[in-house]
Amino acid sequence: MTDTEVRTPAPASAPPAKGNVALAKAALWLLRGRTLIVLVVLVVIFSAISSEYLTQSNLILMTKHVAINAILAIGVTFVILTGGIDLSVGSIAGLSSMIVGGLLFSGLDVGTGHIFFSVAVVIVIGIIVGALVGGLNGLLVTRFKVAPFIATLGILYVARGAAQLLSDGGTFPDLSGTPERGNEGFRFIGVDSLLGIPVAVWIMVLVAAAAIVVTTRTPFGRRIFAVGGNERAAVLSGIRVNRVKIAVYVISGACAALAGLLLTSELGAAYPDTATTYELNAIAAAVLGGTALAGGRGTIIGTVMGAFVIGFLSDGLVLVGVSTFWQSVVKGAVIIFAVVTEQAQQRLQSSLNKRTA
Amino acid sequence: MKVFRKTALAASAATLLLLTAACGGGDDSGSTSGGGSAAPAASKLIVIITPSPDNVFFKAEQVAADAQAKKLGYETLVLSHDDDPTKQSQQFDTAISRKAAAIILDNAGADASEAAIQRAKDAKIPTFLVDREINKTGVAVAQIVSNNAQGAGLGGQEFAKLMGNKGEYAELTGKATDTNAGVRSQGYHGILDQFPDMKMVAQESANWDQAEALQKTQTILQAHPNIKGIIAGNDTMALGAYAAVQASKNKKIIVTGFDGSPDVVGSILKGGIKATVLQPASQISQMAVDQADAYLKAGGKTDQAEKQSIDCVLVNADNAKQVTDFAVSG
Repeated sequence: MTDTEVRTPAPASAPPAKGNVALAKAALWLLRGRTLIVLVVLVVIFSAISSEYLTQSNLILMTKHVAINAILAIGVTFVILTGGIDLSVGSIAGLSSMIVGGLLFSGLDVGTGHIFFSVAVVIVIGIIVGALVGGLNGLLVTRFKVAPFIATLGILYVARGAAQLLSDGGTFPDLSGTPERGNEGFRFIGVDSLLGIPVAVWIMVLVAAAAIVVTTRTPFGRRIFAVGGNERAAVLSGIRVNRVKIAVYVISGACAALAGLLLTSELGAAYPDTATTYELNAIAAAVLGGTALAGGRGTIIGTVMGAFVIGFLSDGLVLVGVSTFWQSVVKGAVIIFAVVTEQAQQRLQSSLNKRTA
Repeated sequence: MKVFRKTALAASAATLLLLTAACGGGDDSGSTSGGGSAAPAASKLIVIITPSPDNVFFKAEQVAADAQAKKLGYETLVLSHDDDPTKQSQQFDTAISRKAAAIILDNAGADASEAAIQRAKDAKIPTFLVDREINKTGVAVAQIVSNNAQGAGLGGQEFAKLMGNKGEYAELTGKATDTNAGVRSQGYHGILDQFPDMKMVAQESANWDQAEALQKTQTILQAHPNIKGIIAGNDTMALGAYAAVQASKNKKIIVTGFDGSPDVVGSILKGGIKATVLQPASQISQMAVDQADAYLKAGGKTDQAEKQSIDCVLVNADNAKQVTDFAVSG
């Protein structure tokens, strides 16, 4: 998980160390792996309470629920790595959901009649819309110098309102399509399975793999970390910072749209409140996974793990029948715990660096 | 860089255009006089406030009230509080500052709504409640609600019959702050608890929400694979639960709802969801507007009781064909 950290020097091979340095190193390893450890602890606790928790079918189901938040969170991680924030992803998911729902249910009104597109085209349109709204975020942040928090907060409302306007607040109830319109098959991405694994999970795996390659193996990935680590230095070293920033918001918007489509496909209906407050779950997953809100530090794998922790926790609490109100309390406590341990890791890391330097 | 920036600008312009087009796309049953300036003193404005119209039930309620008010010669302002009492309170302030003649309200919470309604009363604006009650009397002029207890009794009986009076089932309840969630759940259990062989193995709140009902049902089915039926507190949750059942191994699980929405009635006709309880949403809205009109014409008097309850009707495969727009014909 450390291979993409640019600011933290690789731990130097320690000189003949005192005992407490070794201890500190062990603690550091534990802290670094905390997301995984929390996940394992959760699985152990819930399996002890319910024999249904650790079954193959439940693991597949929980992973499917995780997929939507993970895809949202991966997009948000790109933005956070540059030192920005994207609060609009839930609304973008809702907007693309409504656009896709409208195109499948009532088609595109061209005055003389309604045109229906194939499912593949509709999905591409939905994702492009998400990317464009993301681009708008990027322009606001770069060209108009609006603070990311404010720009994306504004778009949060604009996109949600647009989603409601599309149907005048109503729901598109049936997205299964008809053979005459040639738009059947939307259920594939959200309901169907390939080789026993839900398509939504495959999509999450693909998105995560692509994101890992981009962040760790490409020049663009290095630039993202450079912009987030030290923007001034990035500018001086010739990185086109604005370009990088717009790109990450576009990625975030496209991921959000994709997540919205998966949710809509699974539900078989599109309603304007789709994915309301999901941005908070996405940001929580990124933070749980060790992404620093100040930018420059974090990993895609960490974010995905964070999404797993949140999803496995929520579903586990429902499975064992904990009340809805306690579910919120526990979720919040876990997020706070994660950030506290994040801070502890930072302090330990820096003190260890000083000692071994 | 320049080329890129141009592309980006074009892209954002396109997005804006799209959003604007979207704005024009909806039909104009929404706020017809929302942009108008302050109303004259002798106001003919009726403010209609309901929960989010993404649930067709509230949509029908809104549309019926709006149409009836316009038919009687009123201007309307249609607002949605999205089940947020704070937002509702602000919308009451709007109604008061625009000197509305009357408010038709489907409220955002039994206790949290009283203060706002009282504020309107103090400003000499009468409020007529539809669909959901509040706990206090003497604040609103009328509280016209469908008889949720009676309706839930019907729903519970039909559910028990469908289950053959035995087996494991799960219940999806509504938002805990909404009186109807509790009343319906109690109504269901008033019937279901009489059958010793019927066992509720899970009870979860899905907050009236379709996506939440879907995910929670999937998880409940994991924990309790022998479930034979799911009884939901409203139709949107029933639709979410049914989507989960369709994706599960046992597609024969019985799902029932409450509201009588067109989507669920359609599903009943196709043999999907088995039953729902129809609340006469449109009728209740029209009654509220009519009574508001009579109240205003009589100079602030009404001859109706404050609490009025309208009976619900069970909808199943036998009569689903006769249901249109929250009303059973014939």
